[in-house]
Amino acid sequence: MKGVIFVELIKMAEATFGEKTVDSVLETADLANGGAYTRVGNYPCAELVKIVMAFSAHSGISADALQTKFGHWMMQVFVTHYPEFFVDKPDAFALLESVDQEIHVEVRKLYPDAELPRFDTRRPASNHLEMLYSSPRPLDPFCHGMIEACLEHFGAPGQITRTAHPRLENTTTFDITLTR
Amino acid sequence: MTDASDDRVSRSRHERELQARAEAEALLEEKSRELYLANQKLAQHTATLEQVVLERTAEMRLALERAEAASTARSRFLATMSHEIRTPLGGLLGMIDLLSMDEQDPQKLELLNYAKSAGVGLSRIVNDVLDFSKMEAGVFLFEEENVDLRALIESIRIFVASQEHGADRKVITRIADNVPKLFLGDATRIRQIISNLVNNALRYSNDGPVIVRASARDHAGSLLLRVEVEDFGVGIAESEIGNLFKDFTQIANPLTAAAQGTGLGLAICKRIMNGVGGTISVDSTLGEGSTFWFELPVEVVTHPDAQGLDGSTTARALPPGGITGRRVLIAEDNLINQKLLLTYADRMGLKADLAENGRIALEKFAPGKYDVLLMDVAMPEMDGLEATRRIRDKWAAGQIPPILALTAHVMDAIEDEARQVGIHQIVSKPIPFEELKQAIETALSPETGQVPPHREAPSAKTAEHPAAATAQRIPDRPTLATLMSEEAHGKLFGIFGAEGLADLASKFVSDSNERIELLLAADAAGDTYEVSQQAHSLKGASITLGFDEMADWARQIEHQETQRHNASVAETARRFQARLRELQAVLPPA
Repeated sequence: MKGVIFVELIKMAEATFGEKTVDSVLETADLANGGAYTRVGNYPCAELVKIVMAFSAHSGISADALQTKFGHWMMQVFVTHYPEFFVDKPDAFALLESVDQEIHVEVRKLYPDAELPRFDTRRPASNHLEMLYSSPRPLDPFCHGMIEACLEHFGAPGQITRTAHPRLENTTTFDITLTR
Repeated sequence: MTDASDDRVSRSRHERELQARAEAEALLEEKSRELYLANQKLAQHTATLEQVVLERTAEMRLALERAEAASTARSRFLATMSHEIRTPLGGLLGMIDLLSMDEQDPQKLELLNYAKSAGVGLSRIVNDVLDFSKMEAGVFLFEEENVDLRALIESIRIFVASQEHGADRKVITRIADNVPKLFLGDATRIRQIISNLVNNALRYSNDGPVIVRASARDHAGSLLLRVEVEDFGVGIAESEIGNLFKDFTQIANPLTAAAQGTGLGLAICKRIMNGVGGTISVDSTLGEGSTFWFELPVEVVTHPDAQGLDGSTTARALPPGGITGRRVLIAEDNLINQKLLLTYADRMGLKADLAENGRIALEKFAPGKYDVLLMDVAMPEMDGLEATRRIRDKWAAGQIPPILALTAHVMDAIEDEARQVGIHQIVSKPIPFEELKQAIETALSPETGQVPPHREAPSAKTAEHPAAATAQRIPDRPTLATLMSEEAHGKLFGIFGAEGLADLASKFVSDSNERIELLLAADAAGDTYEVSQQAHSLKGASITLGFDEMADWARQIEHQETQRHNASVAETARRFQARLRELQAVLPPA
């Protein structure tokens, strides 16, 4: 998993809990490299889960809620650092559809060895998007947070329901219905 | 928590940053190295690729060169074969023509007619096969020139009427007004197709007229020309029509026996049509007749250029006063063809002057001196095309009479070049008397030909060329007659006349002198094969001219029998040489 995720996660933790807390939590989290991450590095996903668990234990906030919060944070990072992803996207659905079709294509050019999740989308109705998230990593709440943040970014309130796929392993369905 | 110590970074944080940085730097180094290696690999690939491209290019070039060489070889072979076959055939047909003109005995005339029609048949087959081979070899080229369809069809009609099978038949032409006066096309090939269809119509029908129709209609922005040839003959069963345009097929019917041929005619027509983007087909009812037709898109010529004097203009408007008395320069190296052309010219009432090659033709030519030039293409020293080019370079267009090229080559092979150097028309050997006459008449007619400056004040140069006057000089050389056998002299004198005969004899002397030299050299070198070859040639020429004793000496040398007559090869050859000198003495100075 790209180092940028780890760096941003720690930044979020610092913003939320303060540097001292982050220092002490990281020291207790039993991390392979003592919590030192660089944006350009690659780190196992299990490390990310460990960090989230550590902050959850420290703060009493559930791991899922922390992941969702981090989803929001990352969406903001993308908006700030990769405005080109958003340039010609008229609405939230257009952006969500472009994740697999455009953004990940570009990511693969830069990092041929990146292990990217899949986002298959379908639009049963104009205000309804079905998104199938397939990844061996247990980051469903993180995705949920990102989708929420995306709707907020485009000013489009909606409902998001998350259900594990009945047959496919490691696959979660997000049903996104715009309410306005 | 507001004192300065709060801004300081904790030790653990500092260590984490240092570690992250070290890791980032290590990654950077690793990536740099990967990039370097990738670059190296890329450079290597590029080099390999360039090498491969070079090799492939070389291979392709070689393949192309080979293909081109093969194509050139094929082309050259065809041209050579064409030349080699047509030249003797032309001589043969010409000689038959000459014999027929003088022959009074009806029995002999009949035989000559048979010989003639057999020869014409052979000539047609040879032409078909050569055309077909050219198509097979892919060296069949199409020209774009101004075509006057009316004149073209009319010339076919006239020509057919002069043929045996068309003499008592009616060929009716119906050309619609919307057929353009001139259009761009390949006149030679269009003529070939129509002529082929008309000849077929005549051959496959016993009576009734043959109707040639032409019309035009708009088609995709240009004009679609349609030509039909209808006959009321045997017709074709529907089941046979599919085979009609295939190679080497002929439909068996009661008239086929009379209609000999290669079965290539329609196949060639079809290929020509395919080549020019047209279609050819037939509508026919068995026992009632057939209508062969072809359609081809043509481009109308609205402003024919002043030079539109190519092969398309076949109208036969006779020059005022005919061609009698007109002066012609004949450039031809082949002895037989010289005689043939000179005799032809004589029969046409032309005043002929001969040049043995292009260089001599160039020397002899001067404005106002000749009304038409007949230029053989393949000649030693300077060929006909080169001579024409030099004449064009030297004199203004208005000072140059029409130039007809004579060739036994495949026409396509020289057509372009001939046109470039300013050849007026190409006449393909073998050249029948009528065809040559027609070509000369066409060239001299004021409508189609360039009007030559007709007997304007001859330039001073004319006087410097005594050769111009030789045509009128009739030498009296009884001594030549005494040297020849009576029989040969009688025959040849009848055909060539005294002057022609003397000329022929003079050619014989010079040719034989060369051969004797070669023979003596070969004898000295012990090359008995060459000796025998030269002797064989000498023998043949001597027999033709009725020099019986010389023929016998040559025969002795050829068969190595000189010892029986108490002489060596060299001695016999010298005897021959001495006789040539005697002969030379009685001939008019060259």
